[in-house]
Amino acid sequence: MISIVDQKKEFELLKKAYEKAGGDASKFLDKRVASLIISGNKVIGLNGLNGVEIQPEQIQDGVKAKMLIKKDTVLTTPIHICTGFLEKHGLQRVIFEIEVQENAQVKFVAHCTFPWAEQFTHDALAIVHVGKNAKMYYADEHYHSNTGSIHLKTTTRATVEEGGVFINNFTLTKTRIGKLHLDASVELHTNAKADLSVKVKASKTDEVAIREKLNLFGDYASGIAKTTVIALDQSKARVVNEAYGVGAYSKGHIKCEEVTKGEGVDVSTIPVLKVLNELAELTHEASIGRVNANQLQTLMAKGLTEEEATELIIKGLIG
Amino acid sequence: MVWLFVLKNLSLKKNEKEILRDINVAFDAGKVYAILGTNGAGKSSLAYVLMGVNDYKPTSGKILLDGEDITDLSVTERAKRGITLLWQEPVRFQGLSVEQYLTLGGKIRASRDELESILESVGLSGKLYLHRMVDGLLSGGERKRVELASVLLLKPRYAILDEPDSGIDIMSLSMIEKVMEHIVKGNGSVILITHREEIARIAHEAYLLCNGSILAHGSPDKIIEYYKNKCDNCSHANLPAVEEVKI
Repeated sequence: MISIVDQKKEFELLKKAYEKAGGDASKFLDKRVASLIISGNKVIGLNGLNGVEIQPEQIQDGVKAKMLIKKDTVLTTPIHICTGFLEKHGLQRVIFEIEVQENAQVKFVAHCTFPWAEQFTHDALAIVHVGKNAKMYYADEHYHSNTGSIHLKTTTRATVEEGGVFINNFTLTKTRIGKLHLDASVELHTNAKADLSVKVKASKTDEVAIREKLNLFGDYASGIAKTTVIALDQSKARVVNEAYGVGAYSKGHIKCEEVTKGEGVDVSTIPVLKVLNELAELTHEASIGRVNANQLQTLMAKGLTEEEATELIIKGLIG
Repeated sequence: MVWLFVLKNLSLKKNEKEILRDINVAFDAGKVYAILGTNGAGKSSLAYVLMGVNDYKPTSGKILLDGEDITDLSVTERAKRGITLLWQEPVRFQGLSVEQYLTLGGKIRASRDELESILESVGLSGKLYLHRMVDGLLSGGERKRVELASVLLLKPRYAILDEPDSGIDIMSLSMIEKVMEHIVKGNGSVILITHREEIARIAHEAYLLCNGSILAHGSPDKIIEYYKNKCDNCSHANLPAVEEVKI
């Protein structure tokens, strides 16, 4: 059992790391904001709201949390989630089961921060159900130590019911990655929409494997899956974007942009499009290679060096 | 100090093809120079050579700025000396706002008011456009205007404008004229590449470029007149111009 004093200290440490990662820690003390704070395998902060139920439980090496956004609930402020690991070594498993019921609308702002981790694995699974005409936005930003030895495994399985909307943004651009295995898959029913976006910056010996999949099951379902990878130095990146058009008039678009800079980079992208209904429409676009020469020259003609121009272009790409 | 941007006996070959032949021109301070020529005459190539764009290194000849040989200088070094280029088809930048683009990510210090006012001067609402992205959602005309705003903010000594009017409606030509007047007021010069006579008339001097050679140099009215009468039905299209035309 963790003592109150330890918990306070841990909260302070996590708060500092969270703010360094770009999060607004004041939200965790604001009772008007729903929040969940996890450190290692402990829940050290929890706040629910009307229409929001968060039920966390400790599991081996981690935390499992069920989050329910009740029918017709429209949250005007995002739910803040902080997942931290303050040790140097270990494993953290996080399982989120998120249910957004019919007509509900919710935004999650999640920060995962592992500022001092060295030999560490973070294994996250999100099982998401977006109900009929409900809307869910999940922004997931990671902040790692710069050791490059973190292994991050993140899996999302989402189902979006008729007329529902699911937007999922994953960002890991401010620090080293280490190893990343990202696997996101969404099932879209009639008129449902999804927007999956991943932005990562890999450097030194970082390794990235990304798979995003759109299953357009329902008629008029539509989705877009975008991946942006900046691969520097000797980093490796493998991207697979998939879209399956099953429903009539379903539309899917997949896009992969990989910008390379460094003699030892090793990157690839594979688009997979499969139409199983003659009325479905799938498209893809991909670019892979150095920063666009015309963009570089344009900025250099304004006085930037090649290095500065590259940095600005990359800044735009990864936000 | 006299500002002078000079091309001396400059030639350019690409893939064994002669693109520019023995070009001799001089650009003074505080003037607008029009470079007229038909499609394929080498106008844009000349612009790239002046700016030092990759793959447009002269095969022979020199480029001098205030007496300094800048032939081998990079694009960045030339830009630092006050030369800039407005591209005929400006590229898009994903994720960069107009504000970030104009200030080069904060490298150019400019107040919000100043940026808004510059955008207004190229016919864009400052408040609306400062936060727009310089991406594919801007129309060709809007993108061109943002580029003109960028040129104004840079306060160049030599602004090479490669067909600034393309993609912009004819009603907005006066806006381009004002941009050029503004540069000239600051003692900068404009090297205006165009084949539109309405806009070329604002120039103080004009050059006629034909198949990579300077065919004539003189007052804009005379060059335009020659261009209209002779170049539309050119008798030696795709052949080198052998001698300078006396106008």
